[in-house]
Amino acid sequence: MSIHDFWTPFSLFPFLNSLFIGISLASIFFIAALGLTIIYGTMGVINMAHGEFIMLGAYTTYVFQTFLGVPFLICLPIAFIALAVIGLVIERGIIRTLYQRPLDTLLATWGLSLILIQGIRIIFGGEPKYVGVPSWLDFQIEANFIHLSGVRLFIIIFAIVIGAATWFLMYKTTMGIRVRAVMQDKEMAASFGIDANKIYSITFAYGAGLAGVAGALFGALKTLFPDMGSGYIVEAFLVVVVGGIGLVGSMFSAGILGELSSIFSYFTNETFARFILFTLVVVFLRFRPQGLITDGTTRR
Amino acid sequence: MTGNLYHNRKAQWAVYIAIFAALALLPFFADNPFTLNQFARYIILALTAVSVSLVWGYGGILSLGQGIAFGMGAYGMAATMQMQFQDPESDPIPTFMLTNELETLPTIWEPFWSTPIGLALAVGIPTLLFLFFGYMMFQARVAGVFVAIMTLAMLAAWYAVVYDMQPFTAGFNGISPPNYFEIFGTSIDPYSTTAYWICVGFLVVITLASKFILHTKFGLIVQSMRDDPERARFLGYSVAYYQTVLFTISGFIAACAGILWVMITQYVSPTSMEIVLSISMVIWAAVGGRTSLLGAIIGAFLINLGQSYAGDEFQTYWTIILGIVFLIVVLFLPKGLTGLFELIIGKFSRATNGTGTT
Repeated sequence: MSIHDFWTPFSLFPFLNSLFIGISLASIFFIAALGLTIIYGTMGVINMAHGEFIMLGAYTTYVFQTFLGVPFLICLPIAFIALAVIGLVIERGIIRTLYQRPLDTLLATWGLSLILIQGIRIIFGGEPKYVGVPSWLDFQIEANFIHLSGVRLFIIIFAIVIGAATWFLMYKTTMGIRVRAVMQDKEMAASFGIDANKIYSITFAYGAGLAGVAGALFGALKTLFPDMGSGYIVEAFLVVVVGGIGLVGSMFSAGILGELSSIFSYFTNETFARFILFTLVVVFLRFRPQGLITDGTTRR
Repeated sequence: MTGNLYHNRKAQWAVYIAIFAALALLPFFADNPFTLNQFARYIILALTAVSVSLVWGYGGILSLGQGIAFGMGAYGMAATMQMQFQDPESDPIPTFMLTNELETLPTIWEPFWSTPIGLALAVGIPTLLFLFFGYMMFQARVAGVFVAIMTLAMLAAWYAVVYDMQPFTAGFNGISPPNYFEIFGTSIDPYSTTAYWICVGFLVVITLASKFILHTKFGLIVQSMRDDPERARFLGYSVAYYQTVLFTISGFIAACAGILWVMITQYVSPTSMEIVLSISMVIWAAVGGRTSLLGAIIGAFLINLGQSYAGDEFQTYWTIILGIVFLIVVLFLPKGLTGLFELIIGKFSRATNGTGTT
C-alpha cells in the first residue's frame, strides 16, 4: 500500500497524480472495511480479527496458487468460501456467546487474532510469501499524470464490484431485507418470524468472506507475512467509525480518508500523514460521534 | 461476618498486605540481581494493569491507548537520563542526533537538562494529554466501543510520530541512555535492591491510593456510571467530568510506569507505543480480574512470568496459549481469575457459615 511505490516525482501534475493514488488507496480501505462494517452494523460486534481474516484470505490464495496451480481469478472465490466457512465456525463457537457483551467481543476476537497469527507462523514460518501477479495484470497505464499499475486498477474495479454486489444483496434480495430488519430492531424482526441467529451467522460468514477476498487481492499487491493483518485493522476501523454504519457511509469515508491520506502524504510524508489523519478522525468523532452518514439501517 | 469472605473489607486488606509484603521481602530470598530486575519489570507492568483496571474495570472505559501515557513517560525519562549523561560544555548533543545530522539540541530537548523539570514533564505531559483527550471524548458522550477505537487510533497516530521523528526520538532504534538514572546525587543501579524497592513502593502507594479513591464518594459515583451512565446523568452527576478525571488518573499511573520502566531497563523504543503492548495491558487486567486492582496485578505477574519462563521450544506456542487463555477468560470468566476465586471463596464461606449467606 506504500504510496511511494508508484510515486512519480517528474510527472506533469504530481498533485493530481496523488489524487489518483488516493482513489486506489480508498479502494483498499473500502474493501478492508466493508466486511467490518456489515458485521458491526448488524450484530454490534467489533471484529478485531478482521485483519487476520484478510491475512488468512491471502494465505489461502498463496496455498492454492503455489501448491495447486489454481489461477488467480479462481482463487478469489475460493478465498471467499474458505473464510466464510471459518467465519461461520467462529460465529457459532465464540461470538454467539457474547451478544450481550459487545465490548467483550472486541477482546475475544483479539485473542482469536493472536491465535491465528501464531498458528499461521507455525505452519508457514515467519518469512514473507509471495502471490504471483497474473501476467494479464502485469501492465502499466501511463498517460500524462496518470500512472497506475494493472493490479491497482484491478483492485479499484474489484472494490466497485464488491460494493455493487453487497448493495445488491442488501437492498434487492429477501435475505438483504431480513438482514436490514435485524440491523434496525432485532426483537421486532424476530417477532415477524425472522430467525435473527441465522441472520447473524450468515452476516458474519459474509463479512469474513469479504475479508478473504480482500486478502486475496492484497496478496497480489504485497508480500504476505503472518502479522500483515494488523496493518489494516486501524484504518479499517477508522473507515467504519467515520463513515457511520452502512454501505454508503463506508464508501464515502473510505474515499475521503484515502484522498486525505494521499494529500497529506504529498505535503509531508506517509507516517506524518497517518498522524494528521488519525488526529483529524478523533476530532471529527468529537463533533459527530455517529459518523458521516447514517442511513436507515443504523443500529445505534 | 456473613456471606462471601471475598467481599469482607478486612480480609481484602489482609490479602493486599500479605501480597505487598511478599513482594517487598523478595530481595531477601532472591539474591540474583537479574531475577530482581526481572521482577521489577513485572511490577512496573503490573502498574500499567492497575491503570487499566481502574479505568476499565471500575470506570467501564475500555482504553486501548494506555501505551500513549506509558510511552510518553518512558521517552521523557529517557530524555532526562540522556541529558544527565551529556555535558553542556563539551558534548551537548546526544550521539543519535549527530548521526541524524542535527547540529543544535532541539528546543523540546532543552528542558531535560534539569532532572526535576525532566521528570515533571515526563509525568505531566501524558497526564495533561489524557486530561485533554478524555475531556474531548467524554464531553461528546463518546462511549463503549468508540472509546476503544478512538484511543487505539490515537495510539497508532503517536506511534507513527515517534517512529518517524528520527532526529528527535532516534526512531526505530530507540534511546538507550548510557548511564544509570541519577537523583539526589545518587545513581540508581537498575539491578540493585534499591531500584527494586522503588518500584515496589510505587506499586504499593499507587494501588492503595487507587483503592482508597474507589472507596470515596468519587469512586462510588464512577462505579455507578460504569453500570448505568444514563441513570447517573439523570441523578445530576456530570458523567463527563467523572470519566475525564478517572481517565486522567489512569494516564498518570501509566506515565509513572513508563518512567520506572526506563529506569529499570535503560532503554525505550517505539515498541512502548505499539498496539500489542497496550492490548496486552488489557489482557493482564482481564485475566487477573479487571474489577480487582490486586487481580490486575496478579494477572500481569502470572502472564509475564509465564512468558519469561516458557522455554524456547514452548515460546513458539506461548502466544497461542495466551490467546486461548484470554478467549476462555473472556467467554467464561468475565471477572477473571479473581472472579473464579470469589466464586470458590463464596462456596467455602457458605459451607462454613451455614445460615450466614445473604
